[in-house]
Amino acid sequence: MSFGRFVLKRSLQGLGVVWGVVTVVFALRFVTPGSAINAVAPLDASQETRQAIAAELGLDQPLYIQYGQYIFDLLRGDMGFSYIRGQEVVGLVFSRLPATVELALAASVVAIALSIPLGVLSATRRNQPVDYGATLFSLGGISTPNFWLGIMLILIFAVEFDVFNTSGRGVDVGDVALSVIGSEPFVGTLLAWLAYITLPAIALGTYFMALITRLTRSGMLDELSKGYVQAAQAKGLPQTLVRYKHALRNTLIPVITVLGLQLGTLIGGAVITEAVFSWPGLGTLVIDSINRRDWPVLQGSLIVIGTSFVLVNVLVDAVYAYLDPQVVND
Amino acid sequence: MSSDNDDQINRRTMLTYAGTAAAVGLAGCSGNGGDGGDGSDGSDGDDGMDGSDGSDGSDGGDDAFEIGVTMGQMDSGLDPQDHAETNTEIIVGQVYEGLLDRDKEGGIIAGLATDWERTEEGDVRFVLRETSFHNGDPVTSEDVRFSIRRIVDEDVGIASPQSNDLGSVTEVVAGDGEVTVSFEGFNPIAFQLFATNGPIMQQSWVEENDGNYINRNTNGTGPFMVTEYDSGNQVVYEPNEDYWDGDVPVDELTMEASSESSTRVNRLLAEETDIVTNVPPQEVSRVESSDVAGINSVPSARIIFLQMRYDVEPFSSQQFRQAMNHAVDVESIIENVLNGFGNITGQPTLEGHVGHNPDIEPYPYDPDEAERLVEESGHAGVEITLQTPIGRYLGDVEIAQAAASQIDSLSNVSCELEQREFSSLVQDITTGNIEDKPHFNLLGWGNGEFDGSQTITPLMTTDGALTILENEELDQLMVDAENTEDPDERVEILQEANQLAHDLAPWVFLHQQFSVYGVSGDISWEPRADEFIDPDTATQQ
Repeated sequence: MSFGRFVLKRSLQGLGVVWGVVTVVFALRFVTPGSAINAVAPLDASQETRQAIAAELGLDQPLYIQYGQYIFDLLRGDMGFSYIRGQEVVGLVFSRLPATVELALAASVVAIALSIPLGVLSATRRNQPVDYGATLFSLGGISTPNFWLGIMLILIFAVEFDVFNTSGRGVDVGDVALSVIGSEPFVGTLLAWLAYITLPAIALGTYFMALITRLTRSGMLDELSKGYVQAAQAKGLPQTLVRYKHALRNTLIPVITVLGLQLGTLIGGAVITEAVFSWPGLGTLVIDSINRRDWPVLQGSLIVIGTSFVLVNVLVDAVYAYLDPQVVND
Repeated sequence: MSSDNDDQINRRTMLTYAGTAAAVGLAGCSGNGGDGGDGSDGSDGDDGMDGSDGSDGSDGGDDAFEIGVTMGQMDSGLDPQDHAETNTEIIVGQVYEGLLDRDKEGGIIAGLATDWERTEEGDVRFVLRETSFHNGDPVTSEDVRFSIRRIVDEDVGIASPQSNDLGSVTEVVAGDGEVTVSFEGFNPIAFQLFATNGPIMQQSWVEENDGNYINRNTNGTGPFMVTEYDSGNQVVYEPNEDYWDGDVPVDELTMEASSESSTRVNRLLAEETDIVTNVPPQEVSRVESSDVAGINSVPSARIIFLQMRYDVEPFSSQQFRQAMNHAVDVESIIENVLNGFGNITGQPTLEGHVGHNPDIEPYPYDPDEAERLVEESGHAGVEITLQTPIGRYLGDVEIAQAAASQIDSLSNVSCELEQREFSSLVQDITTGNIEDKPHFNLLGWGNGEFDGSQTITPLMTTDGALTILENEELDQLMVDAENTEDPDERVEILQEANQLAHDLAPWVFLHQQFSVYGVSGDISWEPRADEFIDPDTATQQ
């Protein structure tokens, strides 16, 4: 199979998954308890008022018509109107996406910056105090719930020591970029941005940092035990060159694959972190829409999250196949 | 976020200062704040109900200042007539006004109407104030007519969830500087209804714009105008310089949301906001012991109760229902679960509301009497289940756990608790069919009209939308109350209805919920009983 056919096949499979996501998300509305009308109408609304609201929302149509209409609208790029906010879902969802992507990328940076050096250090100092420390640290990272870590970070670094903002997103990465050419001072804008994003990025990135530390450590140990490393060492090459140029390079290939896949998970998994930090991304929109039974917005958000996940997966597969042509023939 | 003191600027503030104008504004603007205008006088109604005096406007500080409010949830769009929830009302209520308004205690005061009275035919007439919308156009009687019709008649534009709020409006006639509203029959609470409901919008503005626009933009008459709207995240306002009630002593108002209560409290303690809503009881001491903020609470117009269906055993027995009232130690629940933030009740009408009966004592906690009544009812040994919503009312699950455990500790009743997601529970409660409803469940009811009929009629009369009771005597009393023109006589009828409701005990009467706010030490602000937040009445400390 050629590389082009491989990518096409993966893309078609991805489209199938997206269609599955759309259908499951649509069906969820009918299997979960609670009606959207209850969220819109007051408790003592008359049956006439409820019926009028149902008709206005299109909920009085048969299921297959609602489904067909939904798919047709989606293909035209129309995700419908929010039941609660009376606004177009597309606008709402895509206005929130940048904040979530920004947070996911920042969390990835935190995870990579700490995990790879820690993993390498741990592997090269195996069974030494540094290794035990790193193992303990990553175990702690994996087992600490996101929301608890978030609340603790806020309490310590925002309320007690007053270094960062507790919540919100007053300055975004776009403001930082604009400050390079605009009238605002670049350093000040950058610091203000860091004051908002640092704590949520740490809270969200900690789990992945721990995961990748473990992965890097075991990958590095594996590489260090291989024949080519021993041969290089026997030839008298410097230890630093052998470890960091040869062994680390090979270790990083699977690590980068995992990192790519985790980016999708980070976008979907930001829900709790966003709620704790009132981060105005897709996560808070999802929680808010669940609470208010705002199905069109919930469906739109989940479809965008699911599609991002599929997209990242297809891209990672394609990159992997490009780097390692054997994958295409598997 | 009042930030008039330079010495309070901390590192975060510095960072934000240094950042960008797009950052959440922490910088204080110096300048002269206007004096708060005097509250206007409410006019006298000629139906025996005096228009109460308008509340005094706040004095305003010497410096203009900024206020930040953080709530649990944001609005449902900015259309003031297309929602039915308190949070949206708080956000759009800064911009839109009705014909009448309420003061902090719930009394009726002037809004866009300067005078209000009943006509000889029993209709209600409002004389309109000469003022303008935020776009500069004058408020006309046609705008008022259109606004009321848009709520009660879905053909005018939307199926408004507020259609029940204005009762049975049949006709609205626009006159010269006045509007006359007719009801189906005599409506004794017409002015109470208009003091809480019926925001006025400009007809041409509504007709020229679609729902998507109206839900993202505003054009009201109120003290504030929206300058930035980030749906579900943040709304920024500036004062309306031409406000009819005088200068607004707040330079900028920001409303934001944090669904996590601990984040709201942390925002307050980090001095990033000035007012936070729904401080949970366990966080109260943390706020009170801080140097920068305090707790400000007020009994709200919301009553919490356990309702029992009259048509199923064992709740069909009045003795059994009374036994449940004796079995629950409400004072202990208020003290231990709610940290004191609650008032015990013994009737459906809260103290201060029209029709409250001061002679009714709450059922005393008496497990022996409860056991005796259970025996007498013939239902000894019965097993019952209490259903409770999760997270809808302050401490709802904990309250239900305590109540269920106290009932369970009776020797002749066993009680289990079932926790349910609110929307799912409400689905059962609101079908209009009593057979669909849970036999025994916790519920809360907010009464924005401050009138007993607005609780008893929907919840306890045979045809009530949410009823769990059928009693001819109570039905008749409420019909009488609805048709009585003399306010004093009406109060007596409502008091009698409350006594009957107490005796019939269709509810385990629990408590009046409190609204608990965290308030920055930089400002002085008193909360209101109807849960509305009015930052324009805040002053700098």
